Amino acid sequence: MTVQPDQLANLTLSLLSSVALLAIISLGLAVLFGMMGVINLAHGEFLMLGAFFTLTGVRHGLNLWVAMVLAALAVGAVGVVVERLLIQHLYGRMPATMLATWGLSLILVQVVVLIYGPASNGIPTPLGSIRIGDYSVSEYSLVLIGAAVLLLGLTYLVLTRTRYGTMARAAVMLPDMAAAVGVDVRRTNMLTFGFGSALAGAGGALLAPITAVVPSMGQTYVGRAFMTVVVGGPGVVAGTASAAGLLGGVNSLVSNLTTSVLGTAALLVVAIVILRFLPTGISGYWERKR
Amino acid sequence: MMSTNNRSLSGSVAPMWRRLRKHLPVEIPGAVTVTLAGAVLATTVAPFRALDWSLWVIYGLLALSFTFVWGRAGIFSFGQTAFFGIGAYAYGVLGIDLFPQTGETTTALAAAVVIAAVVAATLGYFIFYGNVGDVYVSIITLAFTLVLLTFMSSTADPSYHIGQALLGGYNGIVGVPPLMLPGGGQMVSPNGLLFTCIAVAAFVGFGIHLLLRRPFGRILAGLRENELRTELLGYDVRRYKLVAFTVGGAIAGLAGGLFAAWGTSINPSVFSLPQAALVPIWVLVGGRRSLLGAFVGVAIVQGVSDALGGGGGSATPIVLGTLLIAVVLLLPEGVLPTLSTFARRFLPALGRTSVDAGPAGRTDSPVGDSVIGGESRKATSITAVDVHKRFGGVAALAGASLEVAPNGVHCLIGPNGAGKSTFFNMLSGRYRPTSGTVLLGDEQITLRRPDERARRGIGIKLQVPSLYGELTAFENVWLAAYGAKRDIAEADVRAQGALAWLHLSEKAQQPAGELSHGERQWLEIGMVMASDPKVVLLDEPTAGMTREETMRVVELIHDLARTATVIVVEHDMEFVRQLGAPVTMFHEGRIFTSGSIEQLRADERVLDIYLGRGTSHVGS
Repeated sequence: MTVQPDQLANLTLSLLSSVALLAIISLGLAVLFGMMGVINLAHGEFLMLGAFFTLTGVRHGLNLWVAMVLAALAVGAVGVVVERLLIQHLYGRMPATMLATWGLSLILVQVVVLIYGPASNGIPTPLGSIRIGDYSVSEYSLVLIGAAVLLLGLTYLVLTRTRYGTMARAAVMLPDMAAAVGVDVRRTNMLTFGFGSALAGAGGALLAPITAVVPSMGQTYVGRAFMTVVVGGPGVVAGTASAAGLLGGVNSLVSNLTTSVLGTAALLVVAIVILRFLPTGISGYWERKR
Repeated sequence: MMSTNNRSLSGSVAPMWRRLRKHLPVEIPGAVTVTLAGAVLATTVAPFRALDWSLWVIYGLLALSFTFVWGRAGIFSFGQTAFFGIGAYAYGVLGIDLFPQTGETTTALAAAVVIAAVVAATLGYFIFYGNVGDVYVSIITLAFTLVLLTFMSSTADPSYHIGQALLGGYNGIVGVPPLMLPGGGQMVSPNGLLFTCIAVAAFVGFGIHLLLRRPFGRILAGLRENELRTELLGYDVRRYKLVAFTVGGAIAGLAGGLFAAWGTSINPSVFSLPQAALVPIWVLVGGRRSLLGAFVGVAIVQGVSDALGGGGGSATPIVLGTLLIAVVLLLPEGVLPTLSTFARRFLPALGRTSVDAGPAGRTDSPVGDSVIGGESRKATSITAVDVHKRFGGVAALAGASLEVAPNGVHCLIGPNGAGKSTFFNMLSGRYRPTSGTVLLGDEQITLRRPDERARRGIGIKLQVPSLYGELTAFENVWLAAYGAKRDIAEADVRAQGALAWLHLSEKAQQPAGELSHGERQWLEIGMVMASDPKVVLLDEPTAGMTREETMRVVELIHDLARTATVIVVEHDMEFVRQLGAPVTMFHEGRIFTSGSIEQLRADERVLDIYLGRGTSHVGS
């Protein structure tokens, strides 16, 4: 069997969009976990909110891309409120944080069910498709790949090149010391939580045109998001990118060769085996090597 | 718990009864009593009630598995739901495939337990033997559950079948046979099912109680309280966690199998987050340490939830979510424990089950060659040969060699950054050297884990006090003694001897966290002593102590040195002088010089290093 150039291009694109999808759904979670050590079990619901806010925007006549940006910002605002009401009381209490955000996730799903009903809504996939040889590729999948690169780059710049980013990293490493040198740790944590939530919202917004927008959609993605974050380790950008690349690649290859069910299973198995040998994830391993 | 105490009987009956009682744990009459009560209950209630209550008991078993894994062993696992679901699916598939041949489904139920246990053991192996951090354990088990949800939901195609059983995607497996006992092929009635569930739950519950009463329970408590300390006492932490995780998985699988038999169908929603969230809610309401609380928590939560309009009530998730948040924010110990602290004054039996309080009034500790009684192992030498350790670009140790002869005290000093702490960690096994060898006596231990070194006779006291704050002083030293001796009676004797040696016998039943700072430091030295070490490593044993407390430590160390080789890392020169031991000084990752403290004090170069004078530069 010879691989035609168009077939190869198609495979590469499907692999890249699989990787991009993982990066998009995980990045917000990775920020909260890597920067604050918070495991947000409501992450799936933050994705879901992003999708529903986008849906609402589009239904009110907004341009899709504008609606997506606004949805991300709105979820960021939700995150700030959640941090103030809930998370700030629980820093350093890992199981308590998980249980509380779990409770939050149940509430959010049900609230959305009460407002929108349990049925599936959808936004038509924008843009058309392009032809590569015998294959047709949706242009939106190219948008997803671009968005993943953009969001990763944005996160990197915010965390390393801004005053806020430096303070946020300081507040995480040594909260007392950061406070002693004048960092407002409370405010910084609130902003970081808001930033991570906004990224989750952006992820949900980007998913809206390619998936059924239902209140329970968070669950579909959150398992893979958690696996990506665990395999990526504590480094937010490097970890997410490398883990998404690896797991997305495996998932896409196995799915293409067999079925998507086996692709999911392969993702799980690879993730668990990697953790056996790199217990702090890929970025944790790099840090130790350095 | 319902532990019947028949101690009063044993006096009147012959010694044969006493011997029988010794081998017959109190849990067995307890389990039989509950089973009989269950039989009475099951024959009197209406069938629809019996079905409801069966479900509660099944959920109670699931909650119990979480209480065991989280409340007792300290592993925050989301996996209980996963193992519950795996057990349910296993029962469903095997029930459908085997029932036509065998006419019963108990084999399928047993297989469900085994399959869930095997999956738990496999997952647990990767988690615990990979030394994954606590946080990761939670996330991996959660992700595992959710990936199973995705996986099972996407098996709608008829090509996904095992034997005759279609996996069925979202709709799951239908037509699962109910519980059928061997023999008649007679379907178990709702009341019979309730009886079966109660009997199974009683024996599992009392079995767990029995397991926890053994040293295993105390070791699990130690693991939960302070993992590093437990490892340094010679327990293979990974193995204990794996065993606890596997047992928890087996119980959850059993509950899952019963669940599938109860509902005669099974679908992927058992793996869903709302379903999984119920498990910690039950346990938090019932109290996360209490075995009985698991069942009480289910009864309360499900009772309230039914009163609100059952699973179909649209407000139920909101109520449950709010409940979860409220408990976490307001009653972190759980609902029932908070209530029971009020009630305990009136009903002492409600208190949580504890491990046997230790031997009562046994004071006849045999006088051996050790100050705390019991036999001692011989002290050995410990040797490091040309040990290097690099952290990235920094060489913390650049070829340190030292041989410490058996018995006696030996001090390691040096300015900050000289490498003495790294050297200490190299001996304790916390770090592996980049190159070089470490010998205990004649045995190579360079690559041994800390728990393996502890079992070979290295006793360690870290700089930071590292105790089991919630366990009693007695339990602290007992764990140390048992880690070395693996014999309950001997551990009892040694633990009492060690407390007497420390003059802490009156405080034996006090939680270690409530002792004073000095007492906690002594207790840790007592733990080292109780573990009958050949070599003792003490890192700054007098940090933060008053003058008198320090003097006491000097005495304790001299006692230790009678049966062991003692190496002390210390900053306090006055303390080193009082120990009167040979001193080795570290500088820039190497042994700089050795001798008595007087010799070192007279050495101009030593002063130069400490004061940062001359050519040598001293780190921070």
